[in-house]
Amino acid sequence: MSDLDRAIAQLRACRPIPENEVRELCHKARELLIEEGNVVTVNAPVTICGDIHGQFHDLMELFRVGGDVPDTNYLFMGDFVDRGFYSLESFLLLLCLKVRYPDRMTLIRGNHESRQITTVYGFYDECLRKYGSANVWRYCCDVFDYLALGAIVLGASNTLSQPAGSVPVGEDVEIEVCNADQQIISRFLRKGPNGAMGQQQQQPTTNGFSESGSSGPPAPTNTGPPGSGASGASGGSIGNPAGAVLCVHGGLSPLIDNVDKIRLLDRKQEVPHEGAMCDLLWSDPDEIDGWGLSPRGAGFLFGADIVKVFNHRNDLSLIARAHQLVMEGFKEMFDASIVTVWSAPNYCYRCGNVAALLELSEDDSGLGVLARSNGDVNRSDGGMGGQGPRGVLMENDLLGYNRAGPARRYRVFQAAPQDSRGMPAKKPVADYFL
Amino acid sequence: MIFGDNHLTLSHTPTQWSLSFLAEPALDLVDKTGETGLLKVHYAKEWSATREKTSAGIKEVVRPFDWSYTTSYKGTEHRAGGGKGLESDEKGRIPIELLQRRDPILFADEVVLYESELDDNGISILSVKVRVMEQRMLVLCRFFLRLDNVLVRIRDTRVYVDFGEEKVVREYTSREGEFGEVKKKLYMEGLMPDAITVAFRDANQIAHLLPVVEHEVESVDLKGESR
Repeated sequence: MSDLDRAIAQLRACRPIPENEVRELCHKARELLIEEGNVVTVNAPVTICGDIHGQFHDLMELFRVGGDVPDTNYLFMGDFVDRGFYSLESFLLLLCLKVRYPDRMTLIRGNHESRQITTVYGFYDECLRKYGSANVWRYCCDVFDYLALGAIVLGASNTLSQPAGSVPVGEDVEIEVCNADQQIISRFLRKGPNGAMGQQQQQPTTNGFSESGSSGPPAPTNTGPPGSGASGASGGSIGNPAGAVLCVHGGLSPLIDNVDKIRLLDRKQEVPHEGAMCDLLWSDPDEIDGWGLSPRGAGFLFGADIVKVFNHRNDLSLIARAHQLVMEGFKEMFDASIVTVWSAPNYCYRCGNVAALLELSEDDSGLGVLARSNGDVNRSDGGMGGQGPRGVLMENDLLGYNRAGPARRYRVFQAAPQDSRGMPAKKPVADYFL
Repeated sequence: MIFGDNHLTLSHTPTQWSLSFLAEPALDLVDKTGETGLLKVHYAKEWSATREKTSAGIKEVVRPFDWSYTTSYKGTEHRAGGGKGLESDEKGRIPIELLQRRDPILFADEVVLYESELDDNGISILSVKVRVMEQRMLVLCRFFLRLDNVLVRIRDTRVYVDFGEEKVVREYTSREGEFGEVKKKLYMEGLMPDAITVAFRDANQIAHLLPVVEHEVESVDLKGESR
């Protein structure tokens, strides 16, 4: 057993590794990450995860639900640390897995992967408590500076893969929502080419878990998946390879109109307050037109039109992001052009939310990965062999525009059982407050 | 995060007078228009200055509201059929000395009504805690806002009940101080930088350092009253 495998085993048991091993690990990780571009290319199949926030036991639950590394190819969209009690173990385990299986594990940076934020929200204190010095925190922060800012998933299929022994997946299923025990909660069909709205297939569930949207009277046919608030799933005809998926922690930036501009940023620094790098890690989608300012005086909000134009221009079918708590684990917005994925169940050990991960399956038609000229402004047809209708689409047509989205399987899961945490659910001692 | 099912209610059975602490009416008191002048995060100037050239077209704050969720909520009072209720009582006070006694606590709990991380710019939390002793009880409904490097705001509503006298005293104290000032005072108290960070997470450690900006006392005597 190599040192790395031993470290992985120790971290899986939620036991920190010695400081000198952390230093070595961080050094190796940096050597690996420095080779990655600002936007990492990842090939489907891939499982996309949102915020973890030091909830180690829930991360273990995530691996149980989504499959273990390296069997499953993972992409984590940042915010590994802070708030939870085990930021150190969670981040180091992910980092070990990254070093051990570099091609099966992609880590991108969240706004909490920063010196300033971790000093305030827990990771710094945790390192100090567990090691008696801030050295480990410093090693980790040095790694943060090298994390990629985004990822592009290529070759995602329009149809879902079929897990062994499960209910057959029709070609027209666009979205499937499963619970932690691989049971299907609901399925949503694609809109037909004639504009018919997506239909929902009802699947009886046996365990009564989160049946919203699949119980009671038939749901209106123009609703998206539970928690999505989407008015119908994304369109597109069956059989075309889906467009690429951009993964980023926060969202878009007014300074970035094309993915290649992300590639040009100098990312190897503390997350700044200015510029596109800050926006990518901090901004939020909102139900507005165009761009808006947050009432906080810092931070951008962006509306559906911004996402749709960006996706069209960059040949994307979907943006996956994290950053905001969503009670049902995932939330698709703007006709499924953007989705928020949240992977910290019962956030802060009290929010009562479920978590989700997003599985994109592999396109085996052979058309998906080929000839993709991501970001080329003057590309002829984006590798669609001249069949794509996009060549004649003007941007003002885009509000009704839907790229053929990849088929998406969301696995929704709850917090790990209390007894697996090794800490009692203690009531605060009655104090003589005044 | 709104914990809308959480609440704390005190009721006086003979008169059916009650005082409840609920999330919704507390949030109703939050400014929804931005007219009171919105707080800004400490790096707002820096943030917007570097963006003036590149994104000058984006100026609009969409749906302005008090994103710090500051509330002056003192609880929701219910008086049954024209009965007595809390009235301003300038001489009224909560007998701290009686509450400092280590009488056995028969019941104690704490619930959060709402909470926000302010997008990683601090914390805003409204919580209620209670402790019940043999002869008296105390409720503390506290709004705590820490806007990192800007300010700290604590709004306390204390409700004291004397079971023997059947008297209720409600005291509201609003405190506010600049972040830098509080930090200086903590430093003067001899705290090291790491301990100061920790202290800023705990309203108990900083409340006494903040200047009082508003204080009022009300009381109601429920003895002998009945419907």
